[in-house]
Amino acid sequence: MSFSYILKEGISGFRRTRLSMVISIFTITISLILLGAFAIIYRNASDIVLSFRNRVEMEAFLEEPIDEQTYPVIEKRLLAIPGIQSVRFISKEDAAEIFKKEFGEDIHSVLDFNPLPASFKIHLADGYKNSDSAAVIYQQLKATAGIDDVIYRKTLLELIDRRSRTFVLISLALGVGLTIAAIILVANTIRLAIYAKRKIITTMKLVGATRAFIRMPFVIEGIIQGFFGGIFSAGILFGVIHYAAQLLGNELAEIVLVQPWFYGAVAAAGIILGTLGSMFSIRKFIGESVG
Amino acid sequence: MSAATTSMVRVLNATMSFNNTVVLDHISLDIKAGEFVSLVGTTGSGKSTLLRLLYMDIFPKTGLVTVGNFVSTSIKRRQIPLLRRKLGIIFQDFKLLDDRSVYDNVAFSMYVTNSRRSDIKKKVLNVLASVGLSHKRNSMPWQLSGGEAQRVAIARALVNEPFLLLADEPTGNLDPASSLEILKILKDINARGTAVLMATHNYDLVRKAQRRIVQIKEKKLLDVQLKTP
Repeated sequence: MSFSYILKEGISGFRRTRLSMVISIFTITISLILLGAFAIIYRNASDIVLSFRNRVEMEAFLEEPIDEQTYPVIEKRLLAIPGIQSVRFISKEDAAEIFKKEFGEDIHSVLDFNPLPASFKIHLADGYKNSDSAAVIYQQLKATAGIDDVIYRKTLLELIDRRSRTFVLISLALGVGLTIAAIILVANTIRLAIYAKRKIITTMKLVGATRAFIRMPFVIEGIIQGFFGGIFSAGILFGVIHYAAQLLGNELAEIVLVQPWFYGAVAAAGIILGTLGSMFSIRKFIGESVG
Repeated sequence: MSAATTSMVRVLNATMSFNNTVVLDHISLDIKAGEFVSLVGTTGSGKSTLLRLLYMDIFPKTGLVTVGNFVSTSIKRRQIPLLRRKLGIIFQDFKLLDDRSVYDNVAFSMYVTNSRRSDIKKKVLNVLASVGLSHKRNSMPWQLSGGEAQRVAIARALVNEPFLLLADEPTGNLDPASSLEILKILKDINARGTAVLMATHNYDLVRKAQRRIVQIKEKKLLDVQLKTP
């Protein structure tokens, strides 16, 4: 099989049917912009959910009175509980400072003694920042010697769990739907473009071209279409995000965080979409009879 | 003359039907190397179907079709291109590619069979000369008359030196003078050793060909003797 001829035929096919090529590239571009925008929204919404989860801490208050020598022992016990990533000790004095900051009043001026207990702020490990895991850890903390009480924002965590489950399900459905729609749209557009060239396919079959030989120029066309569609959509997404960031200032840049590799992935997705679209579309025509 | 006695096409008891409608009913045909056969029959009688059986675009429901070393019951899908490289096929509607020149249309057959570039140029120019179209090599198909377009199609069919040329109504779109020109070219090709099977409903042309005639009539294939005036 002459590769140079296939390549030439693929590129000249691109030139010969400009309009259908432009339509195919346009379709790929639009599909990828939709998918790309969806990916950005999904990624950033997930980050927001994650940042909420990261803010959820547990606080274990120590029994009173307690010997200061036992603090490190309790700390060790806490760190041994699965799901606890780190702990931070808050002494009675620290607690009084925090009280002062939060309420603007010195606890010592109100009471003769410091009623605030020492505590451990507990940071959960990734994968444990959900209501089920937190409930288990809560029980283990309560059963730990030296711990009097444990508090955490249970209702907030349950709310995040419920909302994020709904968010993931809706996103999954949307993502799958969008991807399927993009593939169908691109494959159909490429199929129409190939339909316009079915005569060349018939002739190839008549003169004894192998199926691989017939397929290759169309796949090369698909790759070229996908490449341009990918580049255009990555460029448009980049332009829109940067323009919007300039318009709205740094606030948007912080919320809509897009890594540079994302644009490369969009361009690569274009090539994959163009290649698969042409491969699926050409199959039907290769299988058709000649007469 | 041993080649002339070798059967290169053998259709044995073949039946072909589409959607349970029988088109060809237990037909048999032998074509020997270098033979010229005219296939006649009314429009829709099954001439094109028989040709499609020969270039294995379709396969008989029963019976057997053998073309060269390729047998309908055992040929693999990937072997069909190899069969077609040994056949030349032309149609009433020429099936030229409108987006490339006469030269490129003919060269196309050789490109897809992976011939060497130097061979392609030499053979294409030779075959264009043999059909009298050297001067039109840079023309586009839409700049040609019907007769010229069919000659390009013939050149394309011949450039890979087939042992059998299948012509499906080659003069169907042509005026009488052009039809005679095409017939003459087909006879010349046959004289150089290529077997020709020409399907046509033009009885006048068949009479002028003065070669073996087979006819499809009521789904059966019959040998026909011309009545001498």
